[in-house]
Amino acid sequence: MAILISFDIDGTMEIGDPPGAVTLEMVKTARARGIITGSCSDRPMSAQRALWEEYDVEYDFVCYKHLLSDLKTQFEAEEYYHVGDRDDLDRKYAIKAGFGFFWPDEAAANPLLL
Amino acid sequence: MATGYAPSSMYRSREGMGVWEHRGKVAAVGVGHSPTERRWDEKPETSVGAWSIMALRNAIADAGIAPDQVDGIVIVPETTTGAFWPDDKPLPQDVIEAFVQTNDPLDGIAKLSVDWLLKNMPELTNINYSVYAPVCMSNALNVAAQVVGDGLAHTVLVLKAWHNLQGRYYQGGQNAQDAIGGTSAMRSLWGAPACYGTALQFAEYCRKYGKDHNMMTPFIINSRRNGLMFPEGYWAQHRPEELTPEDYQLARWIAKPANLFDNDIPIMCAASYLFTTAERAKDMKQKPVYVLNHADSDAVPRGLTPTLDEVESECALTGRKIYEGAGITAADLSFENMYDGFTQFHQFHLEGLGYRGIEIGDALDFYQTDISIEGPNPVSPSGGNIGSGRSRFWMHTDSIQQLQGRAGGRQITGVNAEIGVSGGPMPLGGNYTVWSATPD
Repeated sequence: MAILISFDIDGTMEIGDPPGAVTLEMVKTARARGIITGSCSDRPMSAQRALWEEYDVEYDFVCYKHLLSDLKTQFEAEEYYHVGDRDDLDRKYAIKAGFGFFWPDEAAANPLLL
Repeated sequence: MATGYAPSSMYRSREGMGVWEHRGKVAAVGVGHSPTERRWDEKPETSVGAWSIMALRNAIADAGIAPDQVDGIVIVPETTTGAFWPDDKPLPQDVIEAFVQTNDPLDGIAKLSVDWLLKNMPELTNINYSVYAPVCMSNALNVAAQVVGDGLAHTVLVLKAWHNLQGRYYQGGQNAQDAIGGTSAMRSLWGAPACYGTALQFAEYCRKYGKDHNMMTPFIINSRRNGLMFPEGYWAQHRPEELTPEDYQLARWIAKPANLFDNDIPIMCAASYLFTTAERAKDMKQKPVYVLNHADSDAVPRGLTPTLDEVESECALTGRKIYEGAGITAADLSFENMYDGFTQFHQFHLEGLGYRGIEIGDALDFYQTDISIEGPNPVSPSGGNIGSGRSRFWMHTDSIQQLQGRAGGRQITGVNAEIGVSGGPMPLGGNYTVWSATPD
């Protein structure tokens, strides 16, 4: 079953500003399980790409939060999730796009990433 | 020494005042900056007070003078980016006790007083004139120029500092209360983001002149590029990310048609300049940059937010005041560093100046030409707030450094740096300084 997980960066990932609960190892673990991963942040998309490349973590997409619904049309999956730390941006856009949503600490404890 | 706000008589607010009486007789010499940070980490050494002291000391050192030669100080006492110390949060006692205190425990933490600075800078032994300027460095520069010109002090430090606390900004202060008093109750009633007024003006601008938001793209990219060559700035120091057309054009709307990158990023920082008389400046370490004029816009909109007509009219008036007092024309400008923290202010200011002969409605087309520092028509060589974070002072630092020939990678090369103008913030409500490499 194909699963896609989109990660916010700031406040969500350990490399964010501020750092969040989701580690790069968790992302790598998800990818090793065949999960489609990438980032969906307010950071410039070019900067998101540069960040993944700087930390040598493969990614399938970068995106802006308000474009989550577009992302859904680009990848065929049975389940879509977004992980973020803001109710008014991450959770709102995730729900609007039909994604499941995890707060960073919930995601960090989720078997998909462990 | 009791310090009050500068009287209105210090500002040049009217058209028809003639050439500024102190034209070329006041000079900026020293520049001092603190580092930048996104938010305060609540350590004493990174507090807004500590960084203010650092910026002031750097400006003194840059000018190559002894601290006891300084006899005046002009500061902006407000330091908030929109973040206020929460009422229910314990005071940071360790930070308070790390400095000599005033009777306000948040002095040096979420605000600044001259009293606090002088208590914590014992080397400033000869200050005999101090005054506050409201809001911005742009305002403080107008005041400092007039203070030196009028002989109220001969060597003056000017300071603006910003604090940004943990958490989200604009969520505290009156926005966290159940009720809002005064006229803010009218403006804030609908919870609109800060840029909405400017976005409304820009929307009308695009409709009136047949332009669109994507035409802002070259300005945004140019601003960030210039900012990344500003070693004192936030993006250069922390996240050296260029912006691409895709990055800008796909970003989410904050108040359509103003998107995320039309807004600046709130940061912690402080900057100081050392002003003195043209005569004294000759003996200081850096090349003097002479003030040809300062101008003030004190217009009040007729409604809750200015209309495009009001913006255009006031920017044109400001341009006329700038040139009249400086005794120059638009053709004399080597560069412009008008405010950009919302980006959509900038075209209004440019058109008001008639920079490079552009007229009302021309600015976005002008952005499609070569506006780089290497070209004949440099636009915002500082990169402004978009290039370096919310300070409202990069434009002034850059103007001084351009004319001193020490703007580094940002040094304009398409034209000689001879006369520049900087200032802002709002089209209705701003302060402007005309700078020159020579006094006449």
